[in-house]
Amino acid sequence: MKRYLIRRVLQVIPVLLIISFIVFSLVFLAGNPVALMLPEDASQEQIAALTESMGLNEPFYVQYGIFLGNAIQGDFGTSYRYNQDAMSIVLERLPQTFELAAVSMLFATIIAIPLGIWSAAKQNTVIDVFATGASVLGKAMPNFWLGIMLILLFSVNLSIFPVSGRGSFMHIILPAITLGTAIAAEMTRLIRSNMIEVMQQDYVRTAKSKGQKDSIVTYRHAFKNCLIPVVTIMALQTSSLIGGALVTEVVFAWPGMGQLLVQAVNARDMAIVQACVFVIAVAVILMNLLADIVYRLIDPRIKYD
Amino acid sequence: MKKYRWMSGLMLGAMVLAACGGDTDDTAADEDGAADGSDEEEEAAIEEDDNTLVIGTGTDMVTFDIHDHNATNTEAIHVNMFNYLVRRDGDDGFEGDLAESFENVDDTTWHFTLHEGVTFHNGDELTAEDVKYTFDRVASDDTLMEHSNYRQIQEVNVLGDYEFEIITDGPEPALLNRISRIGSGILPADYIEEEGWDHFLSNPVGTGPFQFAEWNRDESIVLERYDDYFGGDVTEWEEVVFRVIPETSTRVNELLTGGVHIAENVPPAEWDRVNDNDGTSIISGPSNRVMLLILNQAEEYATSDKRVRQAIDLAIDNEAITEHLLGGEGTPVQSRVTPGNTGAHPDLFDSYNHDPDQARELLEEAGYGDGLEITFNSPQGRYMMDSEVAELIRGMLSEVGITANLEFLEWSNFADMHANNNNEEMYFLGLGNSMFDAALGMDTFSAQGTARTGYVNDELDELLQAAAVNMDAEEREQQYHQAQEIVAEDLPYVFLYQAESMAGVSDSINYEIAFDETIYVENIEKN
Repeated sequence: MKRYLIRRVLQVIPVLLIISFIVFSLVFLAGNPVALMLPEDASQEQIAALTESMGLNEPFYVQYGIFLGNAIQGDFGTSYRYNQDAMSIVLERLPQTFELAAVSMLFATIIAIPLGIWSAAKQNTVIDVFATGASVLGKAMPNFWLGIMLILLFSVNLSIFPVSGRGSFMHIILPAITLGTAIAAEMTRLIRSNMIEVMQQDYVRTAKSKGQKDSIVTYRHAFKNCLIPVVTIMALQTSSLIGGALVTEVVFAWPGMGQLLVQAVNARDMAIVQACVFVIAVAVILMNLLADIVYRLIDPRIKYD
Repeated sequence: MKKYRWMSGLMLGAMVLAACGGDTDDTAADEDGAADGSDEEEEAAIEEDDNTLVIGTGTDMVTFDIHDHNATNTEAIHVNMFNYLVRRDGDDGFEGDLAESFENVDDTTWHFTLHEGVTFHNGDELTAEDVKYTFDRVASDDTLMEHSNYRQIQEVNVLGDYEFEIITDGPEPALLNRISRIGSGILPADYIEEEGWDHFLSNPVGTGPFQFAEWNRDESIVLERYDDYFGGDVTEWEEVVFRVIPETSTRVNELLTGGVHIAENVPPAEWDRVNDNDGTSIISGPSNRVMLLILNQAEEYATSDKRVRQAIDLAIDNEAITEHLLGGEGTPVQSRVTPGNTGAHPDLFDSYNHDPDQARELLEEAGYGDGLEITFNSPQGRYMMDSEVAELIRGMLSEVGITANLEFLEWSNFADMHANNNNEEMYFLGLGNSMFDAALGMDTFSAQGTARTGYVNDELDELLQAAAVNMDAEEREQQYHQAQEIVAEDLPYVFLYQAESMAGVSDSINYEIAFDETIYVENIEKN
């Protein structure tokens, strides 16, 4: 296991290198940020001077080389918008993003596990139809639309929750529901289909024929065996929540990494984009690693060495 | 053993949850735990405390380095914490702010006397040394974004604690304009020298009616009233919060639910919702932005022919755009320099040319009687109703026989095209004037500034060169009037309308949108 872990961690290096190259190339292709940094009435001299002072007149490979050399030392450059170390700005937002991701995941899990098991156990009943319909609807609604609708209903009309911002516990509820809904929908479907499959296995039949109670068969024997795909999806969703709560953070004015990334892309603030992508890549890798470790713990038959 | 495994499985499931939330869940709980009391109280306080003004803005301010940004929304916050030496008085004159008096001594010398007893928020007294420190910094450090607008200041001669002279590197008629805009606040020299620049950036200190309290990036900036303000008791508000709310509909929802008193930049789609709501309304005010068409006069384009440019101008009914499309929120213009800017030409404001028949004749004369096809670029979503205006212009042009192939570009590509002069015949743009002086608006038409349009006019060049160094204010104004008449005739740009700024406002306050898009909280009163 230890050797496996070391190997996995070492694999991170080429992955990050490739990611840095791709992101740098894409940002480079998107064009010179100087036009966006200066007002529309800037003179040609101002544009030329700023391009030169930012080193943007160098060829691609020189710019990438400089970037990589610095990034290896942990320096992702200075954000031109904030005139501050890019990585420190990104790390400043990380706790807020984690906070939202955690609560969204909690919300999704609390809804999905009972609903998934229940609809599998009561297959083809009203409950199952409801759960299936709700999952389709939950997955089909775009985040930004759901967010705006929740604000209109619960904040503007009913005045239960604050519209936006961060601070009290009440502030996190609506964005967490917005993000958690699609995840809950996906997990419910997954748990349901896995449970149905597992419930037809021989050992479940054996357990039933031994006279075990339904609830014990369902939770102790069947559910445990459908956990692996659930863990996979949770790991993937968590990493996408860390990097991908873009629209939701903007809609709810949540001061996390998603909002920062959206603004940085709009302004071509390359340093921030690079630092954000790096952090997201690390999060995805760590989450996958964590999922692998959890597989082993759930199912002792899985061996990595 | 089996039972143990089962339990460990469940626990691990829980661990996954914890990992997903993981320590963060704890963090969240901790933060919430810690924050619950204070933040909820604070939230309640914001809603109930009528001494706190809350303003919803679309983007966060960028820095407290007053010399290293060019963002109006950042300056809108700075003006409440830092004072300029002089302020524009609303027309085209100036009034003292930190300066008790000021006069132009000769072509390159300006004499100032400061108010006595002005204190910075840390208690230090303002002296001429602070002014010297401030202008020396921005005039000498060419890495600062605002350097190019202050480099004309050669030196500041300190004559006493409250007296000093600003020496310019040549005649600089627009000096007062230069020192009453972005980056013109006065910094505390001793404080910065003792504590260091980084400390200043996180604990900024100025002389204004509000002092810094906290800044949570992309979330909010909180300022508190400074009770020892030299101007006296100028504001009722004890605290002002600038909340960052990027999404327009969310900003409007905050206004409707009382979360903010002012929602900046509200687009037309939201006006009804704000006006129909009890206790909120949409207000407008003229901005310093003129919407215009930039025409390329390189030989290969038909727009190099003055008659074609005039035909385009005559084909467009400016008032139909402002009245019917923009609901009256805009004023037709024939110049980029509008009232409120030094050198504005009164006859070229609130006026326009519209005569489709003459446009057709001119096109016929120019050899395009059978029709003309041009490329027309427009941004989409950058300015209020920009794409609708562009569509309407295309329609108006087709009426006189010009087929404009309208291409919408995403803003970053559009900005690229604009900055690199990759434009074809015509594109739609809005231009501001951060100097509030005709010079900034007109210099683009001088021989040095026309890479974009290829427009050259020797008579105009002479006028602009003379005006740039003319210290006789009246004569200079006349020169700029003449220059604007030439441009209105030659039409390197076709001027459309002065844009309006729009905001949603709670009826509980009295707020007017400022021409320069800053927000002086001292001018906002409770109703």
